Amino acid sequence: MIGIVKTALLLLAATLALTAVAQTSREAESWWSPGDSRVLPAVVEYDNAFGKLRVLNAAGAIRAGEHAFFAPLGENGRACVTCHQPSDAMGLSVETINRRWRETAGTDPLFAAIDGSDCPNLPQQEAASHSLLLERGLFRIPLPWPPRSSEGSVIDPEFTIEVVSDPAGCNTDPVYGLHSENPTISVYRRPRPVANLKYITELSHGVSPHEYFYPNDKSLLPKDPDTGAFVAHRLMSDGREPTLKTQAVSAAIGHLESKRPTDEQLAEIVAFESQIYAAQSFHNVAGPLTVAGTPPVLGPEALRDGAPARLGNNPINRIFGSFAMWAGSTPVEQASTAAGPPLEVQQSVARGADIFYLRRFMIRDVGDYNDKGLGNPFNRSCGSGCHNMQLIGMDLAPGYMDLGLNSLPWANNRPDLPLFKVECHADAKPQSYLGRIIYTHDPGRALITGKCIDVGATLTQQMRGLAARAPYFANGSAANLRELVDFYDRRFNIGYTEIEKQDLVNFLSTL
Amino acid sequence: MTATDATIQRSVLVAALCVAGVVVSASAAPPVGEPVNFVACPIARDTGPDTDVCFFAEYEGERYALRNPTDWGNPQLLHRVLVEARVADGAPVCGATPLDARISILPEVDAACDTIIPFDGAVRGTPGGIFNRGTAEQRAAARELARRAAAEPALSLVPVMPESSYPSPVPPFTTETLTVYYPFGSDRATDADMLELLRLTEIANAIPARVEVTGYRGASRLSNGNTLSERSEMARQRAQKIVAILHGLGVDPNQIEVDWVSTAGGNSGQDDWRSRRIELRVIPLPVND
Repeated sequence: MIGIVKTALLLLAATLALTAVAQTSREAESWWSPGDSRVLPAVVEYDNAFGKLRVLNAAGAIRAGEHAFFAPLGENGRACVTCHQPSDAMGLSVETINRRWRETAGTDPLFAAIDGSDCPNLPQQEAASHSLLLERGLFRIPLPWPPRSSEGSVIDPEFTIEVVSDPAGCNTDPVYGLHSENPTISVYRRPRPVANLKYITELSHGVSPHEYFYPNDKSLLPKDPDTGAFVAHRLMSDGREPTLKTQAVSAAIGHLESKRPTDEQLAEIVAFESQIYAAQSFHNVAGPLTVAGTPPVLGPEALRDGAPARLGNNPINRIFGSFAMWAGSTPVEQASTAAGPPLEVQQSVARGADIFYLRRFMIRDVGDYNDKGLGNPFNRSCGSGCHNMQLIGMDLAPGYMDLGLNSLPWANNRPDLPLFKVECHADAKPQSYLGRIIYTHDPGRALITGKCIDVGATLTQQMRGLAARAPYFANGSAANLRELVDFYDRRFNIGYTEIEKQDLVNFLSTL
Repeated sequence: MTATDATIQRSVLVAALCVAGVVVSASAAPPVGEPVNFVACPIARDTGPDTDVCFFAEYEGERYALRNPTDWGNPQLLHRVLVEARVADGAPVCGATPLDARISILPEVDAACDTIIPFDGAVRGTPGGIFNRGTAEQRAAARELARRAAAEPALSLVPVMPESSYPSPVPPFTTETLTVYYPFGSDRATDADMLELLRLTEIANAIPARVEVTGYRGASRLSNGNTLSERSEMARQRAQKIVAILHGLGVDPNQIEVDWVSTAGGNSGQDDWRSRRIELRVIPLPVND
């Protein structure tokens, strides 16, 4: 009976959070158009489905206008901010995308043919031509085949690739496809949030053997082409760009259809991206997240002040620190907080943190992970396994891995995505758990390295500001946090109870 | 029962006992120090909710524990393993005979290798948290930190783990050598090897020195008489990976002499893993005034 009541309360919490979506209309000014001359304050909050996200502009207020991050740099009228909106934790939610479609009848530069549509050859005025963006928040990422090194030389791939199905038609298109004059593979991915980046760009601390190495295969990390310094290599899902600067150049030329930005513009972009922090600051049910007595990790101020790139899988430094202050469960405590936020939900968040930190399960058959010395299976929790960097929950490693999101048989049913058949050459080391013939929606890092063992591998993501930027995973497979939890539960046969799933969703929604 | 019947019955009994004896003899572990080399599926055993799994394999009726030196790499389900070992002394590990072993993961997927024994209490792992490892002083310090963090939650975000480090070399420098051994078909070295390589690299960057790198590949003789040989390019691959690391760490390419031996070494059935290696020497050069 108690369990039923508890479940009902937690469901109520989730329902309240979702109800708030309908009741809270976003302010019109939450959308930043390229060239918008408004001021981005030092601290600004935006409503979202679960409460409020706070963006902390640590260097102080700036006037957007001509700022290189906010200004349209290229032909299609986009700016960096187009796909990295402050209201969406410097990412872009599918809710925002759809609102923008409705408000502009699909004419916003966001929907530029080059990658804001399923393929540039489609009739651009039709919503159906932008289905992957409107339904899953996915942009087209055209990549050369065979791969090119950072110096531009052709990499001899260890596998052949063919298009099995192509619902958008781009991979089989005579102009844009695999057999075009410029052979290209189009995959579809979510923009990653441009916030909290000091954690992502700093070399790892306290790792074996040393901060210059990939811990997994003991080769050296790439270097910054400008400075020659080693880089952490945690920026992009496939690792194709090593630094914020090279990523900005690539994005300007590709997404913005611009010429190379000037050095001054690049410096301005990198400086802005390096000092902006985003995290949830208010939860519709659990209450304010950054007041006295709340978990110290919550809110962007903790991110601004925290130590970056540290391993958070020890009992003192859990990834997101202590949530113990919300774990009280005695009737006295409940009575004493009767006038405050529902203790039940705070307790749920605290339990969710513990599940994330401690609940072990067999992590197995994850390519580029279990095969890098850990063993298959590897009995770990979410926190001590893959999302182990303190304060943001990214993999410190850096962790490129085939979680199962991209390739069969683990991937969610995705008839909307292209399906490729990858066949590894006989003399190549095969993908560790899928073998020599792999069916995948996105070969991931293998499209950059040309290596069979990398097929399907993508980089883990940070976990802050989640409430503001659904859907989740690089291919948008999880429409909401519950679907995210369900994927892990199914993929690893964890067996979370219904309450445990709700606890995890509540926990994730506060980050 | 006739005498003949009795004789026959006795003979059958003796024969049965002999057969049983053979079986018993075959299932007894070889003596300590005896080489045991085989290919088999690893079997994972769940050792409890707060610990990692352990692995063993079965060969000729005997269960052998699959445990590698630190960072050599753990066994993987869906892959057979090459076991190159000698029987070790000591209590059973993972419910199996302990080995002084080098376990290598064979690259091809083998769906038959997919057994996990559920936790049954027979073998319990030891949780490896910082409260259970290190010296008594280190464990006490960890407990004190945990106590303080409980009273002051903000401390839970202050990093407690030390930075990675390696011993810097101290002059005067003489010729130094490093031998790195590898799993079968692999160019992945261990953390300890790479830390030593970092130290030697500092020497090579600090003084005029020549660095010699030689790569080797190996063949492994199994107890059943079969041989596994590495791909012909493994010696080159290993040497070139080390050279790439030296370059990346600032060693002038003109300082480095690289070579590889394409003929597979080993194949004796006695610690054949030693044939898969690189040898590196840092040789100080005389300084001309």
